[in-house]
Amino acid sequence: MDKFRIWSENEKLDREQYRAIQLERLKETVKRVYENVPYYRKKLQDSGVEPGDIKSLEDIRRIPFTVKEDFRENYPFGLFAVPTKQIVRFHASSGTTGKPTVVGYTKNDMETWKELIARIVTMVGVTDEDIAQISFGYGLFTGAFGLHQGLEHIGASVIPMSSGNTKRQIMIMKDFGSTALISTPSYALHMAEVAKEMGIDPKKDLKLKYGLFGGEGSTEAMRCELEEAWGILATENYGMSELIGPGVSGECQVLKGMHINEDHFIPEIIDPDTGEVLGEGEVGELVITTITKEALPVLRYRTGDITSLNYDKCECGRTTVRIDKIQGRSDDMLILGGVNVFPSQIEEVLLNSEGIGPHYQIKVYKQGYLDKIEVDVELADADVLESFQRLESLNQNIRERLRSILGIDAKVNLVEPRTLARFEGKAKRVIDLRGEK
Amino acid sequence: MYIKQISIFLPNQKGHLEKVTRLFLKHNIDIRAIVAFDTAEYGILRTIVDQPDKAVKVLNEEGFVAKISKVIVVEPEDRTGSLHELFEILANNDFNVEYTYSFVMRQDLMPFFVLKINELEKAARVLCENGIKVINIKEILPD
Repeated sequence: MDKFRIWSENEKLDREQYRAIQLERLKETVKRVYENVPYYRKKLQDSGVEPGDIKSLEDIRRIPFTVKEDFRENYPFGLFAVPTKQIVRFHASSGTTGKPTVVGYTKNDMETWKELIARIVTMVGVTDEDIAQISFGYGLFTGAFGLHQGLEHIGASVIPMSSGNTKRQIMIMKDFGSTALISTPSYALHMAEVAKEMGIDPKKDLKLKYGLFGGEGSTEAMRCELEEAWGILATENYGMSELIGPGVSGECQVLKGMHINEDHFIPEIIDPDTGEVLGEGEVGELVITTITKEALPVLRYRTGDITSLNYDKCECGRTTVRIDKIQGRSDDMLILGGVNVFPSQIEEVLLNSEGIGPHYQIKVYKQGYLDKIEVDVELADADVLESFQRLESLNQNIRERLRSILGIDAKVNLVEPRTLARFEGKAKRVIDLRGEK
Repeated sequence: MYIKQISIFLPNQKGHLEKVTRLFLKHNIDIRAIVAFDTAEYGILRTIVDQPDKAVKVLNEEGFVAKISKVIVVEPEDRTGSLHELFEILANNDFNVEYTYSFVMRQDLMPFFVLKINELEKAARVLCENGIKVINIKEILPD
């Protein structure tokens, strides 16, 4: 493997330098949101915090958390710190009401984003010699466009393939000689299977060297399978649209945690129950504050992802803090093929569907390498029995609504009334059979 | 003018038909016709019984989703081509047959044909006028 290359000098500062940069940028950010985002101003005032109170990095703990709910309440642009005139790009992710979580970028934000992606792809080993196939879906989702711009920025040749049409993906990969694959890990595993069915041996017939996987969590077992199936270096990167999209952090070739771009983000780990800040190495919920974003600065965002921080210097030469692989969620959010879904969102769709009762059961499992979801609902309206067509269309309508509102392709099972479990205490409506190794 | 047929939601589970027949037996309900077609995950059981309203009531009480729908029942003549005549009449008069099934509950006699048709009353009248024997004809034709 070639010597570790590092894109930016800002990835190898010493701890004191990071702390100084972070404090200065944190002060600026708090001041800016206080002045420009009424919602944040009120939130800060309610907690008795004025911008002048931030005197040390530890004072960040006085700032209240931002949660997904705050995005919902401020849909669509309420948390923006600039007028929409200055926004040059919108993206969105699914939210808790069926309304997406909207994010915006100024021109400078787009430059920042490019720079951050350039760093994380360089970490993996990708250079301007590489041909990068982006198999994330293009659209409001930040994944595809984020990687796209950063890869172009370093001079790599980008194939904006988008997701789906797997056989064509493999054909292009072979014919164009793609060397880097950007996708969700589960889609990459699925693609490997399809390649095999097509009689293609990825190790012999393809030139693929690197996998940059994200959009959903993965395990070391999955990495092993990915490396085995493709004969590549399989890496993971982590981000979320609320924070910028991909680019928050990524794995270097050492594969011992994901480096956080600390001159742009301040990470903390908290106890998800008490909100108390935990120390280095302790496992808890990741909280991130953006300190360079213009359009949508976010203070202490609770990611819901469970991990820990490691400040040791990495063998690759970077000094930025690393987060461990995401171990799980502090809430009940499901990640289905890269799409984030809360059971409450599914519930909302079901409650607004006619002809069925209010009870439901969600089952998530793997078929091959792909996430599958089934929703059991109780049939309530006998009128649809008039014809099989009507019964079918009731089912199809629910399916279609889940697809259009939440972006998930669920199988809907109609069952008889009073057959699904009722809960008196906390309902356990999700059965996740994906059992991580 | 029509016959009450019961449609019952049927998840594709073992023993489900038996649950229905047992319930009918318990309540002394006589099944005159029954049909269910193969479908992947769930289907609709259609049945004609002697006491349809009571049947739906007890089905609902037991947690079944069931409803009464109206159908026409005809008795074609026992000769080649009689079914063709039946469907030709319906086609020529622009009726849409949603589904049909036959049942024999009578020894040595022709099966009855159940027809689920749009514009039920009109269809019954047209069939009758064309010499097809519509069962319960006294109720179909106005005085």
